[in-house]
Amino acid sequence: MNNFLKAPDFFKANVEGLPSTMLKARSGGDGQAKKMDGQGKKIRAGKVWLVGAGPGDAELLTLKALRAINSADVIFYDYLVSAEIRALFPKNIPSFYVGKAKNKHSIAQENLNQLLVSQAQLGLNVCRIKGGDPFVFGRGGEELLALRTAGIDADVIPGITSASGCSTYADIPLTHRGLSQGCTFVTGHAEKNLDVNWDALAQLKHTLVFYMGLTRANDISAKLLAGGLAADTPVAIIENGCRKDQRNIISTLSELPADVIREQVQSPALIIVGEVVRMKEKLQSTVKAHAAEAHYLLA
Amino acid sequence: MDYFPVFLDLKKRRCLLVGGGDVATRKGRLLAKAGASLRVVAPEISTELRGLVIVSKGEIFEREYQASDLQDCVLAIAATDIESLNEKISADAQTLHIPVNVVDSPALCTYITPAIIDRSPLVIAVSSGGEAPVLARLVRAKLETLIPASYGKLAQIASQWRERIKTRFDNGDSRRKFWEKILQGPAAELMMNGQEDAANKFIDDELANDQSQLTKGEVYLVGGGPGDPELLTLRALRLMQQADVVLYDRLVSDAVMELVRRDAERIYVGKRRNEHAMEQENINQLLVDLAKQGKRVLRLKGGDPFIFGRGGEEIELLAQNDIPFQVVPGITAASGCAAYAGIPLTHRDYAQSVRFVTGHLKSDDTNLSWPELANPTQTLVFYMGLVGLKEICESLIAHGRAATTPVALIEKGTTQDQRVLIADLNTIAGVVAVNDVHAPTLFIVGDVVKLHDSLKWFKTN
Ligand SMILES: C[S@@+](CC[C@H](N)C(=O)[O-])C[C@H]1O[C@@H](n2cnc3c(N)ncnc32)[C@H](O)[C@@H]1O
Repeated sequence: MNNFLKAPDFFKANVEGLPSTMLKARSGGDGQAKKMDGQGKKIRAGKVWLVGAGPGDAELLTLKALRAINSADVIFYDYLVSAEIRALFPKNIPSFYVGKAKNKHSIAQENLNQLLVSQAQLGLNVCRIKGGDPFVFGRGGEELLALRTAGIDADVIPGITSASGCSTYADIPLTHRGLSQGCTFVTGHAEKNLDVNWDALAQLKHTLVFYMGLTRANDISAKLLAGGLAADTPVAIIENGCRKDQRNIISTLSELPADVIREQVQSPALIIVGEVVRMKEKLQSTVKAHAAEAHYLLA
Repeated sequence: MDYFPVFLDLKKRRCLLVGGGDVATRKGRLLAKAGASLRVVAPEISTELRGLVIVSKGEIFEREYQASDLQDCVLAIAATDIESLNEKISADAQTLHIPVNVVDSPALCTYITPAIIDRSPLVIAVSSGGEAPVLARLVRAKLETLIPASYGKLAQIASQWRERIKTRFDNGDSRRKFWEKILQGPAAELMMNGQEDAANKFIDDELANDQSQLTKGEVYLVGGGPGDPELLTLRALRLMQQADVVLYDRLVSDAVMELVRRDAERIYVGKRRNEHAMEQENINQLLVDLAKQGKRVLRLKGGDPFIFGRGGEEIELLAQNDIPFQVVPGITAASGCAAYAGIPLTHRDYAQSVRFVTGHLKSDDTNLSWPELANPTQTLVFYMGLVGLKEICESLIAHGRAATTPVALIEKGTTQDQRVLIADLNTIAGVVAVNDVHAPTLFIVGDVVKLHDSLKWFKTN
């Protein structure tokens, strides 16, 4: 049992109360001696699931994601995992928030990688769950690489990426005959310079989706205009997609920066640029299928 | 299926329980809960078990078992730790054709008892046919956490309304729809939150309401994901379970179709290359027609309906006709295949963006602008078959993408037949030529493919 106390220091510092909570959870546990034995017997390493939770609606979890949530000994989640999904975490196992909302200090990526490795090495089955899809601006590759390098068994469970979920819930198809023959997902992450070939992006018949683009709305608008896109190219800003408080703001490429400010758009938000945004009007069903409002039985 | 599952009505019926210890007491508790009248036989009988017998208006025999104890019994349970005795009870009962269970001895049983989740009147039984009782118990534990305790309440209230709803809807179809509306809508929420009066009022109002909403059909446009049925979303699964008719195409895997409601009508609408089962316009119209007949229509598509799925076209017509519909996003092939091949679509060091394109060069709609695709920090995902692969690679190179850019061709991604072929822009056509590759395939181009070697994890049988 002492193994749990050997958790690295950053871990105690950042994940408040972890060691004791964990001990409690496990000692009431299922007698899996292989894991609990600190007296010299070899501990078999646990397994890690790198899980995409989708954009927010708990019903957009995959069956496999739900299985991972229910099979884990410990869960690590970040801020994009919605409250509705967190409510599905089993009550008898510990779950920890590991970042990262802007400005809120949380574990650095390297430490997080190390945390996952060390937890698995303690013999715990770890569910590492993140918003959207782990392989789309999710840094899932980095976590997976650390795990594989340490010889830990790890599975990746894809999730509905926010571009797909949010656009669907806003009645906007990402591709559509005659309007868009493809789509590109771009990060507007403020940490680095936008290393994007803008002229290449400013292309007709193509949909652009910017993740983390709120603080870059100016840049996005100016550079796409300079790249040749029309000022009235339709734009949708989707805030809190696939959640009860989803907000869709329809704008144009030239109005985008002003609209972001005027509407006080909050993170998480996506920016969709392209003619497909015009489909929204045509695709809105006057009567929603009643199942749409139905609550999922198990939620 | 080795056993036929049933729920027995034991109310006031005589059941023989041989044994008086802990195990017998546990069995006695369950029998008593089901209203059985207990006949307990054992030299020593626990106090609790005695109590249960009294409450169940049963009888106690504090002695050894004898064959005549089976008389008038509809069910027998042997819970003694004497093997020879258990064998005798089993043999006696079988001679009389009385179902018998011997605790922990499947070979002596003519029936076995499942793990139970009791939300009476809702009861769920789980069995592994005696092969893996621990697994069955684990499944039970999971179900226990998934199904709120208040479901019992829901079932109780439902039973109070049963007769009225039955007389209100003489047609079985509209009755079922009404129930589904009640059990999945706000009424259920109210019941489970303990607001019984409000729930009852809601149902009352609904019953008084015009019936037309219920007989009106609707359409669910659902992404079925890339192949692995476990990549279905919870909502997709729920709608698959309540559809009357399903339209599906070749990209929906058999394993996914398995999960569609058994008695739903299935309509295959294509499309394999060269096998135009149904024109897109006809599919659009069929959805409208079926919904107008009052059916709940599931349009199931591989991957995501709004990413190269022509989903927009299908619902455009629905919207014009005022047919209620909803769209459920699915895991698109790029996400699914990338995850299962261990290839991140974006990566800090290798790709700041990812672009999905369709590779059907011949279709008049597609007109790839090559210079844009040459950007080395962008991952490209081609949703395409093998036709045109060589041409695409050559064009990319001609427009400046390095010939050594690593590429992956993923065949039947996320399924048990998944195969990942790794090469570079220059060599992939050759690699494909010597491998017998089949649809569906997805083509990923970019430096992220380098990671495949260290990240691959998915094993096929
Ligand atoms: C670090 S990225 C993670 C992306 C995630 N891995 C995915 O596949 O969706 C975070 C960005 O995703 C977008 N995002 C994620 N969930 C969202 C939601 N529910 N509504 C709107 N945007 C969302 C926002 O642009 C947010 O800034």
